[in-house]
Amino acid sequence: MGKTVSSEDLMAQVAEGDEYAFEILVRRHETPILNLIYRFIGDRTQANDLSQEVFMRVWKAAKTYKAEAKFTTWIYRITANLCLNELKSSGKKKLFFSESPIEEGQTLNEESNVFPSAEDILLAEERSSQISDALQSLPENQRMALILKRYDNLSYGEIAKIMECSVSAVESLLVRAKRNLKEKLVFHEK
Amino acid sequence: MKCPQVQKRLSAFQDGELTSQEKERVSRHLESCSVCRERYAEMEKAWQALGDLKEIPPEPGFYGELVKKINDSYETRSPVGFQWLFQFFSSPWVASTLLLAGILIGTFLGNFLAGSDLFPFRPSMASKSPGAVEVVSFRVFDPVPPGTLGEGYMRMVRNTEVQYR
Repeated sequence: MGKTVSSEDLMAQVAEGDEYAFEILVRRHETPILNLIYRFIGDRTQANDLSQEVFMRVWKAAKTYKAEAKFTTWIYRITANLCLNELKSSGKKKLFFSESPIEEGQTLNEESNVFPSAEDILLAEERSSQISDALQSLPENQRMALILKRYDNLSYGEIAKIMECSVSAVESLLVRAKRNLKEKLVFHEK
Repeated sequence: MKCPQVQKRLSAFQDGELTSQEKERVSRHLESCSVCRERYAEMEKAWQALGDLKEIPPEPGFYGELVKKINDSYETRSPVGFQWLFQFFSSPWVASTLLLAGILIGTFLGNFLAGSDLFPFRPSMASKSPGAVEVVSFRVFDPVPPGTLGEGYMRMVRNTEVQYR
């Protein structure tokens, strides 16, 4: 049975110009990075471009990566900074999703193998849209902290390292984010 | 624990960030307090609702596009040496120092050439008879003042005319 090489070891190889190691790293982390950006920015095309920018920076900065730092913390920090800078430079404070993340034919309940009805799809799209709007209405730092906690399940300590703030600041951001979110979400009963 | 204290820690409780002792105290309070229990239930509902935002897959050509962008970025970049040079010379201090140095060198060179026998159109001091003083300065308004490039040119042209007659 093959042993999985850690991302930190792969980075050491990338620092020496190993393109194969870089490909493994990209394939391993492309989905979480893309989705972090997508949930934050709200635009799929932009999320695709920005996630490629993240990996370009990983490639170019490979030699500066310190092995004692956890790779996910490092790449998430690059991603978070890129997202926050992107919003600042585009002058956008509030974005809305340009397309529904629920695509035609995508099952909502993956366990049941039941093909959803048109009504189910519409309901799911409406709910996604509400959630998207609620997320996008949050201030950037609250939004980033919430996404990192809810979707990437990172600890307060890890989020603090990524966002370069204290653990108590992360807790405070999440308290406010959850309070704001609760006010904005309207729940549909099935 | 009192309700305000518990409500402050509900978010951290939900996120599993409390110590075991704090977690135990909050849990006991929630069992006995319907207000805090309801507040927590609302938080849980909102938290669960966020899960309805589905994950998107990367585009099939993601890695290929990425490699192309990386390669393109190396092709369009100017060589490192020129970049360094450009950055170095665009610094205001460097530019000012170079300008000053240029003026000083130019002045020195000009004085050197003007005082040197190498300068072709200035009459040599050795050809003057002792005691004679040539007041060249009064002739600077002549059409072709002596010792100037113009006089040198005219002399050259006259010599050429003589040669071809």
